[in-house]
Amino acid sequence: MAMVVLVLTGCNFDSAKETDSNSNKNKETSEGKQVLNMVEASEIPTMDSAHAHDNVSFTVLSNVNEGLYRLGKEHKPELAMASDDQISEDGLVHTFTLRDANWSNGEPVTAADFVYAWQRVFKETGHYASMFETASILNATEILEGKKPVEELGVKALDEKTLEVTLAKPAPLLGQLLTFPTFLPQNQKFVESQGKKYALEASNVIYNGPFMLSEWKHDTSWKYKKNPDYWDADNVTLAEINVFVVKEAATQLNLYETKEVDSINLSSASVDQYQDNKDFMSIADSEIFFLRFNHNHKALGNENIRRAIDMSWDKKAHVETILNNGSLPLYGLVPKDFSSSPDGKGFRELNGDFNHGTIKEAQKYLAKGLEEIGQDSVKVTLTVSAVEGNDKTAEYLKSQIEKNLPELSVDIKLVPVEQRYELESAKEYDMVISAWGPDYIDPMTYIGMWVTDGSANRMDYSNTDYDALVEKINNENDPAKRYQMMLDAEKMLFEDAAIAPLYQRGLAVLQRSNIKGLVRHPSGPDFSFKWTRIEGK
Amino acid sequence: MKGYFAKRLGYMLITLFVIVSITFFLMQLLPGTPFTDPEKLSEQQLELMNEKYGLNQPVAIQYVNYVRSLVTGDLGISYQYEGRSVNEILSERIGPSALIGFQALVFGALAGLALGIISALHHNSFLDYGSVTIAVLGMSIPSFVFAALMQYFIGVKLGWLPAALWQGYEYTIMPSLALSVTVIATVARFIRTEMLEVLGQDYILTARAKGISEKAVVFRHIVRNAIIPVVTMLGPLAVAIMTGTLVIEKIFSVPGLGEQFTKSVLVNDYSVIMGVTLMYSALFIGVVFIVDILYGVIDPRISIKGEHKL
Amino acid sequence: MSLPKQEITKDLFVHAPLESGKSEELPGTPVTFWSEAWRRLKKNRGAFLGLITIILFSVMALIGPFLTENSYMDQDLALSNLPPKAAGLEWLGFDGSDVNGIDQYAARGINESFWFGTDEFGRDLWTRVWKATQISLFIAIIAALLDLIIGVVYGGISAFYGGRVDNVMQRIIEVLIGIPNLIVIILFILILEPGITSIILAMVITGWVGMARVVRGQILQLKGQEYILAARTLGTSNSKLIWRHLVPNVMGSIIITLMFTIPTAIFFEAFLSFIGLGLQPPLASLGVLIEDGYKSMRFFSYKLIFPAIVISVIMISFNLLGDGLRDALDPKMRK
Repeated sequence: MAMVVLVLTGCNFDSAKETDSNSNKNKETSEGKQVLNMVEASEIPTMDSAHAHDNVSFTVLSNVNEGLYRLGKEHKPELAMASDDQISEDGLVHTFTLRDANWSNGEPVTAADFVYAWQRVFKETGHYASMFETASILNATEILEGKKPVEELGVKALDEKTLEVTLAKPAPLLGQLLTFPTFLPQNQKFVESQGKKYALEASNVIYNGPFMLSEWKHDTSWKYKKNPDYWDADNVTLAEINVFVVKEAATQLNLYETKEVDSINLSSASVDQYQDNKDFMSIADSEIFFLRFNHNHKALGNENIRRAIDMSWDKKAHVETILNNGSLPLYGLVPKDFSSSPDGKGFRELNGDFNHGTIKEAQKYLAKGLEEIGQDSVKVTLTVSAVEGNDKTAEYLKSQIEKNLPELSVDIKLVPVEQRYELESAKEYDMVISAWGPDYIDPMTYIGMWVTDGSANRMDYSNTDYDALVEKINNENDPAKRYQMMLDAEKMLFEDAAIAPLYQRGLAVLQRSNIKGLVRHPSGPDFSFKWTRIEGK
Repeated sequence: MKGYFAKRLGYMLITLFVIVSITFFLMQLLPGTPFTDPEKLSEQQLELMNEKYGLNQPVAIQYVNYVRSLVTGDLGISYQYEGRSVNEILSERIGPSALIGFQALVFGALAGLALGIISALHHNSFLDYGSVTIAVLGMSIPSFVFAALMQYFIGVKLGWLPAALWQGYEYTIMPSLALSVTVIATVARFIRTEMLEVLGQDYILTARAKGISEKAVVFRHIVRNAIIPVVTMLGPLAVAIMTGTLVIEKIFSVPGLGEQFTKSVLVNDYSVIMGVTLMYSALFIGVVFIVDILYGVIDPRISIKGEHKL
Repeated sequence: MSLPKQEITKDLFVHAPLESGKSEELPGTPVTFWSEAWRRLKKNRGAFLGLITIILFSVMALIGPFLTENSYMDQDLALSNLPPKAAGLEWLGFDGSDVNGIDQYAARGINESFWFGTDEFGRDLWTRVWKATQISLFIAIIAALLDLIIGVVYGGISAFYGGRVDNVMQRIIEVLIGIPNLIVIILFILILEPGITSIILAMVITGWVGMARVVRGQILQLKGQEYILAARTLGTSNSKLIWRHLVPNVMGSIIITLMFTIPTAIFFEAFLSFIGLGLQPPLASLGVLIEDGYKSMRFFSYKLIFPAIVISVIMISFNLLGDGLRDALDPKMRK
């Protein structure tokens, strides 16, 4: 009996009316109304920008809220809530003038909202408090270390519409970094009035961005509606976006075919069938996958052996046949189409390929390396977790390495993701397939990983020259010089063959061709809907 | 009778307590942190977060704290959904799971019953072999294969039912059907065996000899007596359905408990894992308890004493 | 009863001749029990078919991987994703053409035939399917045997000693049975390092309970049977009692339980693979192959079909055999 009661009261969907309106909506979409239907593989973990640390939260937050800057169509920072950014002579003080903009509850967005939100990140032990350190905000490091109170963070409200941000050192990337959702404003009065319930439901958040979250059914779907009070509302075309939580790639494809959703990512198994479809497109993403070598390992501590492994396998065949989802082979650290120099040349094109050798060369390096360590053969384990088909990559790597370098044998150790992270930080592995997505659009998000004892190093790689160079990059204000130094840093990393890059992730996307201006960002939020519109047939 | 209930209830509570303790300590052995995406966390930040959630305290103290709040009915706060209480998450997720589970059980039991009866009454005929084949296929083909085939053919090709999502009643049908396959198979086989046994009993011979119509013999004597033991299958069936929901919910995008559990296990969301485990165990123990009571009510040969029969 | 009434008088009964020595002897030997069971099993077509299939598949699991020259882990991307092709079986769909009807072998100029096709690594699925069958059966049988040993010892002790011991042991079982085994298994696999051993251990940790209950129940039931009492009274020795009466009777239920444990274990392993807690590649079980095939079932359906058929046939066979054995070994069902 209890079951029946549960059944009657407990289901999460609304009445049949809801369903009707939904199917109507889908029809409208195909007729060119401004409604977009999307899928996400996961529920929104949090709507609190102080805690957000994943792509789904970032995507939602960046579309319903707005910080001082926002990522533009070309992924360049654009002034958003701030209408002006005055930089002092020494580059240490930024004075922002805020626009006349309101929260969705009618309250004006003020400088105090930024001060409150930023300090709150530290008070709440937010995941990304370290972003303030990256952005060189004054005293961020000291506050993280517990040496100074959070009130001394370098951010001040001069008056209602003027915000002063003080830096520890000039930060050429500040605009870029400020698009990150951790820097979004929050209204103190509202947050405190909600108490523990803040950001738990659609009604427990207020919005100042192009859209508002009008409905949020946990783990099922959520809905954006255009925010009529947004300062730039005239340039927002979409009226509504429905996002459904669908975990299985096969299910997503089925829903695309039944026209329930308008854009999905294809799994490698289905790409062959759809690559001639007019809705198909292949997009290079900026997440990189690479082999971390444990530099304390006897054999893998040897530069030549590492280089031999990197050269020994067919990266091109791997992305084309095994992954088959638009991923690109990677012969460097910074991915393709991610960053370009001040004079407009791509980073990858400028530095070219590293360790892109033949099997013969690989065998030569291995022989040299084995001689140096005085061993005839080496057995290593390859730790991997089954995300994004990395288990397949591991199987291919094993087979390729063992075939082309017979002196090496590889055991695959498949572990859950959380365990892989733990093994990585404890350096309890020989080789591990890792991934890294950029936090901001600048090569430093990759280059900064490899400084001695850096928190993303996790393989005990240490090169004092490299450390010094990174330090210099961080203090360089001339963009051209800085860029050159970053190119040099990458070269240095591969002279040591510190890591073996595997591939740059790509997305095989199936998207209705009448959707225009759906911007996919390489970092931070996955999508911006601000400029999206649906054109008639 | 009252004493019996009290005793059983006591055992159930002890069982639950043991389960909570075992799961709690097992979870301490899980590698990794409960914080999703720790890739970008510095050690310093990790320490701060451990401190915030009390994860740097000795395990014994964490255990005492957990049990203490559990007694007040508080299952804690989820890690993967920052700030959301586990009580709330569970109460949202139980609905869809219970609904498709219940529908699968009812439909599966009825279909299985029909299949089993047909099969037994036409023992060793083509009808029998056909039913047995269906039943055995249902038990042997993994439910996710069924689910995927149904989704593609019924949902996409024929378009009779929505392929997936959770937007209204018609969205519950396919997951329920996919889930009921195991139930149909189990019940059909069970009923068939029971019926065959009953068919050989002397009282059936007696009934037939008395000249009662065949229909009456079948329904009043055979089926009725064969159905009683099906009640004992409720426990295993509940488990089968629970197991089924884990994959079915994922395939059909049903926001249910099983899906939540798999996800939480993979990201070490300690409090949600504990909550779901507790819920499943309570449900399971509850079903076993109800079965015992029901069995005593239905079958007068079994009297409720201190101990339940196997 | 429709017999005409007949008066029963004393002279209708005659004393049977008493042969001294015969009274102490119990007719029949354990061999008779088994041969009787075997005879009844042979009569049950389904069960016999099941038995033959199981033997056939076990043999294939052992020799199948050697019937082609390919190893289960050799990769060759030039041969990736080839549909199944077998000379002489073209009419059955083994003609090497893909979803769009293009003969991939001709299109890519490949002369070799892959009976079950190849996966994306160009590995021969025929070899992999049988290798996987081997591993799945291995996991299931070892898990079932461990269940059996622990279950028999635990159940036997519990029933044999009875009283306090039994009481305590039963309380433990009652608690264990309340734990949803799925949850424990998943947690255990996460804690132990994934692999064959962990999967077996995790399944055994909760699996033996069922066997222990069956054994205990059977022994308790037998202990109270009149014929045991009678045998005792007649002075049958303990060992004779155990071997002639207890063993054959308990054996029946044990074998039946075993027959149903094995498919459950195979199923569970497949299920674990589906939620991503499987074996270490390049090793594969049927579950791993099915999971792989499931992901690409729309366009490379053969990747799913063959392992799914094998797993289904194995499950069906074990179930049929289990049913048949129940009929053959369970004295209640004797007709």
